[in-house]
Amino acid sequence: MRRSVAARAAAAVAVLLPVTALAFAVGLSTGAGALDLGAALRGQEPDATVLFRLRLPRVVLAAEVGAALSVAGVALQALLRNPLADPFVFGLSGGAAIGTAVVTIAGGTALGTAALSAASWFGLLPSQLAAVAGALVAAFFVFTLGRARGQLEPTRALLVGVVFNSFASAVVLSVEAVLRPEQTQAVMLWLSGTLGYEAMPLLAGAGVSLLVPAAVLVALAGRLNLLALGDEGAAALGVDVGRTRLLAFAASSAAVGIAVAFTGLVGFVGLVVPHAVRLLTGPDHRVVLPASALGGAAFLILADALARVLFRGLGAEPPVGAVTAIVGAPFFILLLRTRR
Amino acid sequence: MTGPLLLDAEGLHFRHAAGAPEAVSGASLRVASGEIVGVIGPNAAGKSTLARLACGLLAAQGGEVSLQGTPLQRLSRRERARRVAFLPQQHPQDLTFTAREVALMGRAPHLGLWSLEGPGDLMRADAALREADALELADRPIAQLSGGERQRVFLARAFAQDAALLVLDEPTAGLDLAHQVLLVAALRRRARQGGGAMLVLHDLALAGAACDRLALMLCGRVLAQGTPETVLTPEVLSPAYATQVDVVPDPATGQRLVAPRIPR
Repeated sequence: MRRSVAARAAAAVAVLLPVTALAFAVGLSTGAGALDLGAALRGQEPDATVLFRLRLPRVVLAAEVGAALSVAGVALQALLRNPLADPFVFGLSGGAAIGTAVVTIAGGTALGTAALSAASWFGLLPSQLAAVAGALVAAFFVFTLGRARGQLEPTRALLVGVVFNSFASAVVLSVEAVLRPEQTQAVMLWLSGTLGYEAMPLLAGAGVSLLVPAAVLVALAGRLNLLALGDEGAAALGVDVGRTRLLAFAASSAAVGIAVAFTGLVGFVGLVVPHAVRLLTGPDHRVVLPASALGGAAFLILADALARVLFRGLGAEPPVGAVTAIVGAPFFILLLRTRR
Repeated sequence: MTGPLLLDAEGLHFRHAAGAPEAVSGASLRVASGEIVGVIGPNAAGKSTLARLACGLLAAQGGEVSLQGTPLQRLSRRERARRVAFLPQQHPQDLTFTAREVALMGRAPHLGLWSLEGPGDLMRADAALREADALELADRPIAQLSGGERQRVFLARAFAQDAALLVLDEPTAGLDLAHQVLLVAALRRRARQGGGAMLVLHDLALAGAACDRLALMLCGRVLAQGTPETVLTPEVLSPAYATQVDVVPDPATGQRLVAPRIPR
């Protein structure tokens, strides 16, 4: 363990990169129908369409969302000094869901449609932006209401997140009541966390915009380590605690918002992945953050593949959010029980 | 014997909340290069608050603190952390970081944007662990260590920071006698190399043996200040601690042994 941090980070990436590549291969070769990979690569139809228009975008989306949620989970666990922190548990996902839901309703009204088309004319993605804004609002609540006597209290912040989550699902359910039945179906699927088929340029845009919060968090990683010493311990080592926390909250909210806008509420990824990664790498955030990005990508691709395989016989598939929750909820309880 | 001032705290005032009594009320303290200064006094005298004011962890509401001649508010956080290292009274116990990783944290004020340590920083951290006699703990997680071992690791973190001034709040807490002696020797060595230390201490005999100068605090003020010989007397200590205190010279070394008189 005397090796430098850069060397350990490189080693973790070297281990996880093949794992992620393998997950990509599994994800691409799993699906409802049989796929002739050779034919698809030669451009023969319909195999080429299935591979490049359906499976590839879905796997890329899973990778982006898994990485975003995991990195945000790592940051939240450090910020709140709480190993149980997760974008879903702390209400950030819920906030993002409110943002997206509001845009969905607005899309149903004449004025809203006009505003939305104006926004997209300027190259903005209204639902993504609204989701980021919603996540930021949730982070603001956790951040301010979770404080007592000038210090962030982990338990208090957790409670605020849980309460905000219930509030968010109530808001989203109310929104649903005013929607047309076919929209309701879509919202339900989205709420339970579904990987859809997005256009590749959109996915590329999401990937690039996720790089910004990811880079901010990796740059803050050293300071996130110091926060483990407590606010005063970190401040004594020259850390601007308030600014570090604000930046990290904003970056995590942005990552969660982008992820939620695409896939809805996929829970527990930000909890399961960082903890599994830490078993491999130890607690240093400069290693854990990049490793969790890779691990999260692999995890969500595999969870989605699992969802498709398990229900293949029934001719249906559960949303990926259900799979992560089925894995994640017992994991959360396990953490709660083993942590002392 | 003493050099330029590392710490110059002048007429400090601080209250923790509006309406609360002043925790520090017009206290002044100087630490020169080459000097070890002990701050003693009963509970709630303002010792720890004074230590935090000296490090800039609390902002004085009156008076001024200068580090190596520069007022605190003119120093960036990182620059401040390169001039003064702080050891708090309590440490987080649930850290999964190893002792070496904690010692390396002391290098933080010297690192660049991505906070990556170089080989030089690793060497400094190991040297600091050796200085605190914690090198054999290097690869163990902090959570597995005993209280005294953990204290040595956090001392190593303060040493690794390479700040001229060390402000240590109860540095001997949990340390056995041998490690108390080692700590004082390490502080002496640093003082000879131009460093200085401000120690908050409860063990008065140790304070007398380790420090060049003592400041006795009571109710946020420095009641008496001077060499251990002038401060460690029954006449000064007994009223301050509100109990009868005996001071006798150790027949072997002449060091002052201080004991409260306990009726039985």
